[in-house]
Amino acid sequence: MNSNMKTQRGIQRSRNTFFFAALIALGATLSAQTDGKIVVEAGRIITLAGEDIENGVIVIDNGRITAIGPAGEIEKPWDAPVVGGPAFTAFPGFIEAHTSSGMDRPNENFEVAPFLDIRDSIDPVSYYFEDCLRWGITTINVQQGAGCVIGARGMVVRPVGMTVEEMMVRPKYGLKISAIPKRGKSRSTQMQSLRYAFDDLRRYLEGLVEKERDERGQARREALFQGRDVEGEKNKGRAMGGTAWKVDGLEIIPRGAIDEKHEPLLDLVEGRYMIFFHCGSPIDVPHAIEIAETNGFLERTVLVLDEDCWKAADAIAKAGVPVILDGGLVDQRRDPLTGEERETFVPEVFEEKGITYAISSENWNDRSLWYQAALATGLGLSRDKALAAVTRTPAEILGLSDDVGTLEVGKFGNVCLFTGDPLSVTTWVDKVVIEGRPVYDRADDVRNRHLLEGVTPQGTAPPVADEGDEHDGDHEEEHQDEDEDHHEDKDEEHGEEHQDEEKEG
Amino acid sequence: MKELSIRALQRSATTIALSVLATGVAGQGADDGKDDWTLHAQHIYTAAGDAIEGGTVRVENGKIVSVRSGGGSGALEAFAITPGMIDLTPGIDMGHVSVEQSTEAVFGQSAALGLDLFSYRWDRILKSGVTTVMASAPDYNVFSGLSLCLKTGGEKTISARLVKQDVALRAAVGTQPSSGNRPPRGSEPLNFYFRRPTTRMGVEWLFRKSYYDTISAQQSGDSDNRVRDDILGKTLLGQLPLAVKAMATQDVRTAIFLKEEFGIQRMILTHAVEAWREPELVQRSGVGVCLPPFRASGRHPDGFANDAYFLPLQAAKDLFDLGVPIALSAQDGSEAGSRLGNQAGFAIRGGLSFEAALAAVTIQPASMVAIDETVGSIEVGKDADLVLWSGMPFEPTSQIIGVLLDGQLVVDPRGDSE
Repeated sequence: MNSNMKTQRGIQRSRNTFFFAALIALGATLSAQTDGKIVVEAGRIITLAGEDIENGVIVIDNGRITAIGPAGEIEKPWDAPVVGGPAFTAFPGFIEAHTSSGMDRPNENFEVAPFLDIRDSIDPVSYYFEDCLRWGITTINVQQGAGCVIGARGMVVRPVGMTVEEMMVRPKYGLKISAIPKRGKSRSTQMQSLRYAFDDLRRYLEGLVEKERDERGQARREALFQGRDVEGEKNKGRAMGGTAWKVDGLEIIPRGAIDEKHEPLLDLVEGRYMIFFHCGSPIDVPHAIEIAETNGFLERTVLVLDEDCWKAADAIAKAGVPVILDGGLVDQRRDPLTGEERETFVPEVFEEKGITYAISSENWNDRSLWYQAALATGLGLSRDKALAAVTRTPAEILGLSDDVGTLEVGKFGNVCLFTGDPLSVTTWVDKVVIEGRPVYDRADDVRNRHLLEGVTPQGTAPPVADEGDEHDGDHEEEHQDEDEDHHEDKDEEHGEEHQDEEKEG
Repeated sequence: MKELSIRALQRSATTIALSVLATGVAGQGADDGKDDWTLHAQHIYTAAGDAIEGGTVRVENGKIVSVRSGGGSGALEAFAITPGMIDLTPGIDMGHVSVEQSTEAVFGQSAALGLDLFSYRWDRILKSGVTTVMASAPDYNVFSGLSLCLKTGGEKTISARLVKQDVALRAAVGTQPSSGNRPPRGSEPLNFYFRRPTTRMGVEWLFRKSYYDTISAQQSGDSDNRVRDDILGKTLLGQLPLAVKAMATQDVRTAIFLKEEFGIQRMILTHAVEAWREPELVQRSGVGVCLPPFRASGRHPDGFANDAYFLPLQAAKDLFDLGVPIALSAQDGSEAGSRLGNQAGFAIRGGLSFEAALAAVTIQPASMVAIDETVGSIEVGKDADLVLWSGMPFEPTSQIIGVLLDGQLVVDPRGDSE
């Protein structure tokens, strides 16, 4: 299996290189555009803030929407390029509330790693971001660390740009905490590590204060010795903020003297970070809520949930925290006695309990947000609510409502032009404008033709021979390696369906 | 043939099973206490000619007795009605215990003998609107025996659910039938997997040898394996289709070359991910193609090297345009969004017309395995296998709100309240 996975990764890698060329072409169109004015015309504008507009116009200037309304009522600047037309439906663009796609390997082998930053791992040429444009996703919250205890600082990005800096919408955005037991751990040791992380923070701060009281200036000297920045603002101390526990006397410690591991946690307790708290099963939920409450960040906590966490809906509703559904839309459970299967449509439970929820694409390319919203509509959510769960609501949950989520004056000029209804199988994303810049045009999307028609664009075909031979060889090698387990080959496809049980991000 | 002569019993058995269940499960609310229904819908997509706008289907004794336009209302209402769907390669897990390990060429055994009718998957498949499936033994033998078609619901016996026994001989080319086998070597104790074939070449050799032996036995009149000669003989005469699992382009070519070499009359390529790469060859050969599930990402998860197989959304349309009979399959996809109806949706996304996509999940697979006299379309006299949709069929925004199987209401569109 291992060698097989390696090969896959190899193929992936080589394909990445080959499509790099195509991406450069996309990037070029991006940088050629100025941040000037642009006018988007559409036969229908789905604003998601009130009624749809028939035959509407959106004027974008300097990255933001300056006017939106019916064609007759809006004055179009004479010097602005126009995209779209009556055949298109304009839409705010989907918001990926939470994903660990688009980055290198997640889950560093530290339990508590808040000093890590996703910024160092985001891969601007990843297929994922390319697919985002293709499926109409314009804002993405990248978070990882479901396999850690405290993961890393995440980031909100736009799926366009050749560097992480270009993609950045909000750097250092949120911290990931996981209540899912790390591999090889029990649920109780996971919780113990988590509680210990905050106890450790407290002891560390108390120790700093104690030492500083013994000898003034020691914290600063040590920080300078370790090469930290303790100038300017960083040289000042501040009393501990936040609503939970306090460490007295913290004002005598220059903030720059607090080390990398504890600084983000202090930020968290003092209320400067959002928390994405990952729960893999309903029993994780009360623990997560308790830890957030004890340490004063419940208000800024978002629970990232697997599908069966709907069972903890009452606890979630009581805590009043919003949630992001990271698992399937439908929870299928079999009654162990009768064998009868029950299906629970998870968003409906959240809806009934009055929980604010966003739907994610489950880190799965086959479940992009348009498809999730369409399925959710089919399963019984109203169309408005299904659309909100992949646009407006994630914007609210992420605190990005001023910028994205709807088409309104003052918000980012992020517009997707669909060829028809955004939730229909026959509809495609035709063009995408991000902050006033046209960044995607289906006519130029060579790889979409690959996905659709199987045409390999010129110059992008891998030079290797037909893969068919490759796996034969691969497979045989595998045999040499694992003599003992041959029967597995015959069995492996017969196992119970094995959906990605392991959460990556 | 040595198979159980179930066929004779089939009809009466089905009727008994139905009447038993009718009282128990879903008999409630039927028009006149029996499984007789009047269904009304804004659109009836019959898969046999044009759609009927605003029409009525009348079901009596498990059969469709009339299909007509008009008729103000029925006991069961829906936006649209389609025939019950048919999947030739469903996600019915027969388990590795159903892989014959003593030989790589099994001819006479029926998959019926290995089916687990108590698996929870049957219910999932039925609720997803698939009312008939072809069940085959797992594809780990070069020839793995005879497939059968059966309904996905009803009393849990083969005879009650049977649509047709022995609808195809199952075979596979490529690497899978040899996987796990290897030549003996070194000082290892001899075990089960030291057997042939161990390579792709060996698989083809065994395939050829079987046909050669049958043909020479027919010529000499002296057979060493009458079951094999009988069954392969039927495939040569066109009395039995050969359903071959052929995924990669190379496998598709192999299967078609074998068809042409021996004059195998009817062949269905199943799991045919890459049949689209050889459109002319597939068209010329006259094979039917059963496509595996589409992936939005374009990468297919089945097979040994996941990324290697690739099925573009337009594959169904391209093959259809060449006149190749197309069937779609959801395989193991039992979650909302991965079911057979969704596959038809993806095919439409790839440019296939609605009518062709409908045919590809109903009448087309039915005629590939010659069960189209009883199922596969909404026509008078056929089994009352019907799917009721809340909106346009195959759109992800639409839901299957009702399913009738042999006239029995197995998913009730009137909700749980009734």
